[in-house]
Amino acid sequence: MSRQSRIALTLAKRWLATLPAARFGLASGPRRRAAFARGTRRAFEELGPAFVKLGQLISVRPDEFSDELVAEMRSMQDAVPPLPYERIAEVVRAEFGRDPDELWDAFEREPVASASVAQVHRARLREAYRPVWGAELAAGTDLAVKIVRPKAAEAIRADVGVARRLAERAVRWGLARRFDPVGLLDEFEASVDRELDLRQEGRFADRFAFDFRDDARIEVPRIVWPRSARRVLTMEYMTGWRLTEIDAAAAEGVDCYGLAVHGATAFMRQVFVYGRYHADLHPANLFVTPRNTIAYLDFGIVGYLTPEERMNITQVMAALVYRDADRALRYSAKLGVDVPAEKVDVIRAGLGALLDGTERPDGTRDFRHFGLGFLRLLGEHGIAIPSGYGLLIKSLATVEGVARALYPQIDIVATAQPFTTRVLAQAMGDPARLAERLPAAVRAALRELVV
Amino acid sequence: MTDDVMRFFAAWMLTHETADEGLKAAVERGEAGGAEGMSGGPDAFVDGLAAMVAEEKERLKAELEARARGELPPPDEKRDPVLDEIRFEVGELRGRLDNLESMLESILARLEARP
Repeated sequence: MSRQSRIALTLAKRWLATLPAARFGLASGPRRRAAFARGTRRAFEELGPAFVKLGQLISVRPDEFSDELVAEMRSMQDAVPPLPYERIAEVVRAEFGRDPDELWDAFEREPVASASVAQVHRARLREAYRPVWGAELAAGTDLAVKIVRPKAAEAIRADVGVARRLAERAVRWGLARRFDPVGLLDEFEASVDRELDLRQEGRFADRFAFDFRDDARIEVPRIVWPRSARRVLTMEYMTGWRLTEIDAAAAEGVDCYGLAVHGATAFMRQVFVYGRYHADLHPANLFVTPRNTIAYLDFGIVGYLTPEERMNITQVMAALVYRDADRALRYSAKLGVDVPAEKVDVIRAGLGALLDGTERPDGTRDFRHFGLGFLRLLGEHGIAIPSGYGLLIKSLATVEGVARALYPQIDIVATAQPFTTRVLAQAMGDPARLAERLPAAVRAALRELVV
Repeated sequence: MTDDVMRFFAAWMLTHETADEGLKAAVERGEAGGAEGMSGGPDAFVDGLAAMVAEEKERLKAELEARARGELPPPDEKRDPVLDEIRFEVGELRGRLDNLESMLESILARLEARP
């Protein structure tokens, strides 16, 4: 059977299996969508790496897909049986011309993690190494060696080709009205290309470590460049508790509230100050360490913002903090959210209601309600959402989820208030902005003096 | 990084301790914070900013007093961010060269392994 037939058959089989749960189409909308989403997730898991990655992309695009599908894709299991050592050693030999035992000490045959695209083995550093940033790694340091599975890139590219043909057919038959499947596949292909070259991930980890050099509570694994290549990334091994083990961390005296606030602030710093951020934050990519620090892992998916986008995003966040619907609308427009003139009033009213409704029963305020509610509001009125905007809102909502996993009562909006206020205050001192705004300010001052 | 403008406002506030009633009221509203303390809208941002500047003013005051007592180093002993950036660029370049050297070694190893 051809791969194309297998894909079509697997999808059809899994969707048909959802019919009883969806009461053959008679169930309520959310229930029907949830059943369809579950079937799609199971089909993707069965179809392998390309579809697992596609599912991960869908999980960060609430602007394009239903809440049910996004939630289901977030729960997708990316754990596959590990490949035997010999197959992994082949990749190492192809990249370095040498066996793992010649490159690292105590390279463990059994991986510590095995996902659809790569698996991670523990090893020890043979000779001391001075990383790009941070203290020297001593000989004997514990390492994590991430290795792309053989033929993973080729399999993903072949599947993308097949999926593209199916997507083009779906567009021709009018089966994909809500989103553009071909555009999504283009985006997916570009992101997979980046992710399959592990050196890009290593470079971002170095930059991240540098950006947070003054912050002793943020840790990033140091990269060992002489032992890294396109398909192999050697980094410091990090230990700690995953967010799912937070009770154990609290029992050991870790300050969960402090780390939740600090983690959320660190993310805002990535977005509002540097314009580059870890866009794949989920419980498996974060550790809380016994040193009362947060360790970031896996920099495969990264978001970038231009200085202008960064400032506009900060303004939208300030609008949420200070409940200012006009500000939110004005700066969303600068980010590409084009609200037609006849819909401005209705969107402003909806936005105002969202801003007033962010308060939770415990008195804290909720970003997720606002962010996703705003995306939904725009969707309901047929207003296109730029992909970067959707990704960022989803990332902020995820950060709130991560911070709440650490400390459920955290008020992310209150945490954002001093941060966004400071960033905007600093922007006031920007010479270009001063030059732009000064004439209007002088006119206002003169008006005040004259009246 | 974001301290400069805040410090400027704080210094201004410190030298104008008898600020006008409007500013004092803004600081109070901002300090009350949250949905209850501020009415929302564009003025709320000014209130929030005023409260933060007032906090910064207190910090500045404490810092100046500590420095006068010789308890803090002079401000110019901080790390230079531009030099740090250059150090990082050099480190990154070194990392790329380390990586390149290892790639060249692997090509050599493959060539030597040929019969």
